[in-house]
Amino acid sequence: MDDQGCPRCKTTKYRNPSLKLMVNVCGHTLCENCVEMLFVRGSGNCVQCDTPLRKSNFRVQLFEDPTVDKEVEIRKKVLKIYNKRDFDFPSLRDYNDYLEQVEEIVFNLTNNIDVENTKQKMEQYQRENRDVIQRNKAKLTREQEELEELLLLEQQGNEQRRLETLQEEQRQLQAKRKNKQALLDELERSQLPASILLAQHKDRAAQLETQIEKQKQTVKPTTIFSTGILMGQTVSLQPVARIVEELYHYKPLKIETYGPPVPELDQLSRLGYLNHVRASMPQDTAGGYTSGLACHRAIQDAFSGLFPS
Amino acid sequence: MFHNSSHKKYWLFDSEDTVEQLRCKANMKFRNKVLSSGKPGVSESLFLERHEEDVLFRHYERRLLDFCNAFKPVMPKSVVGTAIMYFRRFYLNNSLMEYHPRIIMLTCAYLSCKVDEFNVSSGQFVGNLLQETPAGQEKVVEQILEYELLLIQQLNFHLVVHNPYRPMEGLLIDLKTRYPPLENPESLRKSADDFLTRAAMTDAGLLFPPSQIALTAILGSASRAGLNMESYLTECMGLKEDKETLSQLYDSMRRIKSLIKKYELPKPEEVNVYKQKLERIQAEFTTSSNNKRKRGYEDDGHVAKEPRMTEEEWTDEDLL
Repeated sequence: MDDQGCPRCKTTKYRNPSLKLMVNVCGHTLCENCVEMLFVRGSGNCVQCDTPLRKSNFRVQLFEDPTVDKEVEIRKKVLKIYNKRDFDFPSLRDYNDYLEQVEEIVFNLTNNIDVENTKQKMEQYQRENRDVIQRNKAKLTREQEELEELLLLEQQGNEQRRLETLQEEQRQLQAKRKNKQALLDELERSQLPASILLAQHKDRAAQLETQIEKQKQTVKPTTIFSTGILMGQTVSLQPVARIVEELYHYKPLKIETYGPPVPELDQLSRLGYLNHVRASMPQDTAGGYTSGLACHRAIQDAFSGLFPS
Repeated sequence: MFHNSSHKKYWLFDSEDTVEQLRCKANMKFRNKVLSSGKPGVSESLFLERHEEDVLFRHYERRLLDFCNAFKPVMPKSVVGTAIMYFRRFYLNNSLMEYHPRIIMLTCAYLSCKVDEFNVSSGQFVGNLLQETPAGQEKVVEQILEYELLLIQQLNFHLVVHNPYRPMEGLLIDLKTRYPPLENPESLRKSADDFLTRAAMTDAGLLFPPSQIALTAILGSASRAGLNMESYLTECMGLKEDKETLSQLYDSMRRIKSLIKKYELPKPEEVNVYKQKLERIQAEFTTSSNNKRKRGYEDDGHVAKEPRMTEEEWTDEDLL
């Protein structure tokens, strides 16, 4: 399906970019216009599967695949009933089984498998666990409220800080303006030469600036670190326990050759071994060959395993 | 290097008896296999006895050597040594009756060319079978390729063989460098070479490290020239203090020499009799066992490089 479209009026997103597709509980799509037209009376049947639907249950399709929308809807409904949490179970295994059961139900309902039985099962569960569900619902809403309260607090804090800075700026601006006015007044009234007055004014202005700077630096009412840890809270700053590791000591590789010791490659020439092998030609040395290599190998082979072990 | 090779670890045996036991076991294995297959007309007298197998083995080993020596382009000695060693190792755990040595020896030579970096193409290789028609050579190639993987498997994938030829060169270099009492070490070379060639035809390679065989060759050559080189062992090899190692070394050398002295060429009349026996066994059992082997081979996840063709008609007389 490259292009989504309304199955009834055959309009597609391509032809009408403002097309709004809607989904109802059965998972079949209709465009907004068709919904308006067909469900004028508030209820009717699905065009594709004849399920009785209500207009108020239509939602804007969020996902490309309408069955996903359907599943989301169903999941929401199922989880309203199946709202137990992990600490309601004696073991993790039980909790996982429960989750698996929930998934099973959601899957069945989404894909129209064994719908009647599944619904019955759900109802039965609801009846059996009425008070647990109720309690969990209350708990959930309480938690929700707490969360919202926290968010509200944070928002208020932000607002207050914003207002404070605004006031501060205004005060500073006023101070500057006052300063300027004072200069003008003095220039008007005083007998002193203008240059001295100007110099005085400059001094004062500079003083004011430094004062403002200082204030700005002191104004730091943050009580919380960016990590969310409150300032002033005692955080354990003890260093992590040191792990004492044994240092690696190099031990030279010792190879048992079962024979007399072989002279080192770079000693061969000094010991006179190379006088007895064919010297390497210049063209041999291009690849890194030296006569010492061949000589060394021959002697290694001659000595290796020589002594009975 | 030899001291940490698979050669030292897996293919050196402590005594001739151990080796002989392995061969007897291989012989028994084949007998039991045929007997248990329940073919009619099978009698014990049909099989090759161990000593008969041995005669045939030496015969085919000799053929392998001749084939390698006549090979064009000239085969380096280490390739020949490796080929013979493969041949020996193969029949340590397999009976001659099960796999015909005629094709195994060629496969050994072919594999050894590859492993020892003596580059010949398969066409060039069978081109050395002078008596063969081009079509016959083609067939031999197919057979070689078919047995090659089996051979490698039977060698337990230990393909590097340490031959005594390089150790001998090393010893000669060492003699020239550190042992001035010996005036002309090169004079020892010819007879030492002969010794190594003869050693290759014995079990010495399965019992002793290549360096010991090389040393034996050199010392033997020297003593034949009337030179005593004991001071080389005591002074240069540092065995002056270590009398025990020295005596062990002498013992090993004595055993190598006696092994080589014991070697005798197989008698042609015996060979002919046993060969007929072998052909009969092959004709009787191996068509079935070949198929069985091949099937088992593929069951193992091994696949021959080339599909097997019809059983060959050529005989040994075609070789060379």
